[in-house]
Amino acid sequence: MEEDAVARAVAGAGDDGGLETIEHNVARFVRILRRLGVRVSGAETVDAVCALSRVNLLDRGHVRAALSACLAKSRQEAAVFEQAFALFFTTPEAKAGQRERYREREERNGRLRDAAQGELREAVGRWGRDLSVTGEQLRTFAMLPQQARDRLKDVLRRVKANGVNDAGHLVSMILQSSLNYWRYHMMKNKVDRGEDLSGIEAELTGDAESDEVIRGVAAAFYRHPEDRILHRDLEGLEEADLPRVTALIGRLAARLDLSLGRRYQRSSRAQAVDIRRTVRRNIQYGGLPLELRYRARRRKKPHFVLICDVSASMARHARFVLQFIYGLGSGLGNSESFVFSEDLERTTDYFRHHRDFARCMTEVVNGSRQWGKTTNLYESLRTFRRLYRDAVTRDTVVFVVSDGKTVAPEAAAALLGEMGRRSRGLVWLNTSPRREWDKNPAVRILGAVVDMHECNTLARLEECFRRHLAPRV
Amino acid sequence: MDLTIAALQEAMEREGYVCEEELAVTVYLALTLQKPLLVEGAPGVGKTEIAKVLGRVLGAEVIRLQCYEGLDENKALYEWNYQRQLLKIQIMKDAGGERDIEKDLFDEEYLLARPLLKAIRSRERVVLLIDEVDKVDEPFEAFLFELLSEFQVSIPELGTVSARHVPVVVLTSNGDRELSDGLKRRCIYLYIDYPDIDKEVRILRMKVPEAGERLSRQIAAAVHHIRTRLELRKQPSIAESLDWARALVALHADALTADSFTRTANLLLKNRADHRQVLERPTLDGILGATGTEGEAGVCACGHHRPGRGDSW
Repeated sequence: MEEDAVARAVAGAGDDGGLETIEHNVARFVRILRRLGVRVSGAETVDAVCALSRVNLLDRGHVRAALSACLAKSRQEAAVFEQAFALFFTTPEAKAGQRERYREREERNGRLRDAAQGELREAVGRWGRDLSVTGEQLRTFAMLPQQARDRLKDVLRRVKANGVNDAGHLVSMILQSSLNYWRYHMMKNKVDRGEDLSGIEAELTGDAESDEVIRGVAAAFYRHPEDRILHRDLEGLEEADLPRVTALIGRLAARLDLSLGRRYQRSSRAQAVDIRRTVRRNIQYGGLPLELRYRARRRKKPHFVLICDVSASMARHARFVLQFIYGLGSGLGNSESFVFSEDLERTTDYFRHHRDFARCMTEVVNGSRQWGKTTNLYESLRTFRRLYRDAVTRDTVVFVVSDGKTVAPEAAAALLGEMGRRSRGLVWLNTSPRREWDKNPAVRILGAVVDMHECNTLARLEECFRRHLAPRV
Repeated sequence: MDLTIAALQEAMEREGYVCEEELAVTVYLALTLQKPLLVEGAPGVGKTEIAKVLGRVLGAEVIRLQCYEGLDENKALYEWNYQRQLLKIQIMKDAGGERDIEKDLFDEEYLLARPLLKAIRSRERVVLLIDEVDKVDEPFEAFLFELLSEFQVSIPELGTVSARHVPVVVLTSNGDRELSDGLKRRCIYLYIDYPDIDKEVRILRMKVPEAGERLSRQIAAAVHHIRTRLELRKQPSIAESLDWARALVALHADALTADSFTRTANLLLKNRADHRQVLERPTLDGILGATGTEGEAGVCACGHHRPGRGDSW
């Protein structure tokens, strides 16, 4: 575990001038937990100190249970807590060893970064430009196999300037893109090999965007295998994960279906008295309304229209989304589903015949001409308006699932705006990470007329459907 | 009972709740710090049972608030007894006492105490079980804050009612939705996972002693294999493995065989697709392999049955 985030956080926490009271130790431990993403409030810290006063401090199990009960408030947090506890509450010798290893590692990384910087500077030197790469990118370069480093340097040397391009800028862009690719690739390989990536946590770069990714990946590795899938980008799910993914989607959809399928719901809002039934009931009391009768609140089944992008960039996501819709079963009610890329096709009937999912998907794919093509949302919406306009009413929630990479976004946005005005709500589930939205002008244009949500994991997919299909009574 | 961690653990085990020391420490802290205990875990792992067992251990009444979507204060806290109030109005009208009527109508006499208020007003310490708190709406969850931190509630017509004895509060959640930080912050937290094989054997031996050591171990191993190796829509809970054990005992099975498994699988697997998946031959063989069953039949738990021809299990 010496390479992991917890070790780094523990080692980096310092010793607060050598104070070794229970309160100081708890405070330091809480600071570490917070660094690792566990939300611990001041009140919980006080609770933890109080809890320690009630247990046998010489019993490690008691101390662990007491702190865990007060500081870790979910299964995921408990997993982080366990690692942190094992490393923090240890002998002074072991702690000193951790600090020493941390210091050595930092020195080694510093040397590697300096060497990488020199190497890169030499490669781009003739463009007379400073390296505008982050520390993390430098570290990535230092970790590359020699062959890959040579190839990258070779590419940089062969870049030729012309009258149009700013060559220095171009070289810088190539370098950054390449290093970002390699960083992602190396992390992915680690994941594939089942290695613990949590060590990346402490290697934060200070660059908000990179840190967000690093924290996200690292956090995923603290989670239960099911949660890891639940919170992982659908694009990154491997073939080996598919059985687990299928079962998980089935469970999520069934849970949502159960909650959507209830016919009546008690409401916290004031209930309406059913005058007719109340009068009839109270005739026996001479008309004195002793027993009130209330109107049962019939719950409307949610009605939604799903328009799912199945173009080349979306094929993988689409499979999971459609599987989720398939899993809704009776929760579908009168809802409609469509797939689109260059044009739009109706798929509702495929999901209604209670066939097994594999067969259903085979039929959807074979019966459609849209899979894997380019995206033209505008044409697709025109088809929708022409043929299926009546599917959208004031009670309908429209879900569009797409990464927003479409031609003619302005025209599509106009049609979406019109659709949004005719519906209960128009929700765009964007399968690309939010941080990438700004890079896609179409997303900016479409985002101005729809309620756009990041939806690249199963957890978000379920949350979006649950939130937007909340019943109306 | 002199409350210590060891004594609590022992008392809980005596009341039929198999628990390890860590769980006992957490419950002990909730009791001594007088904080609500929030128990999370999959359905059927024994969350609700903790409250019931605590009731027996402490000799306290268990007051249960079963949560559901749309639960409101009227159902959880109190309601005015409208019918009695109406009758009172009629009686006072006939007796000509309209002037005093208003102050009398909102007396405690006309208050219908619901579980939360019952727990607060109880003359003895009680165990308040707020079951499946993840089912309630968020506004109701926020309403619980005051109760759980101050152990008091406000009734506009009567004022603030404070707890005579701070109740032992146990909240359970199946994790249907994430609870708010505010609620979690006020609680001592306990996550109960599915038990390992040894713990499940202990539970089976305690709850279904007639199953015997061998069958209990096979059941525990089979259920553990199913939970950890198979991707099912619904994993079998402890409650279901207990039912399964009872069914096997009722069928005079002393060991897990393909036949006895097939005949009793309905008690363990509550989903058609899961049922089909588990009973497929390679999967079933894998489960039986994990239990160390060789498919042989011995003497059943009652000692009088031995399968022969035409007496299959």
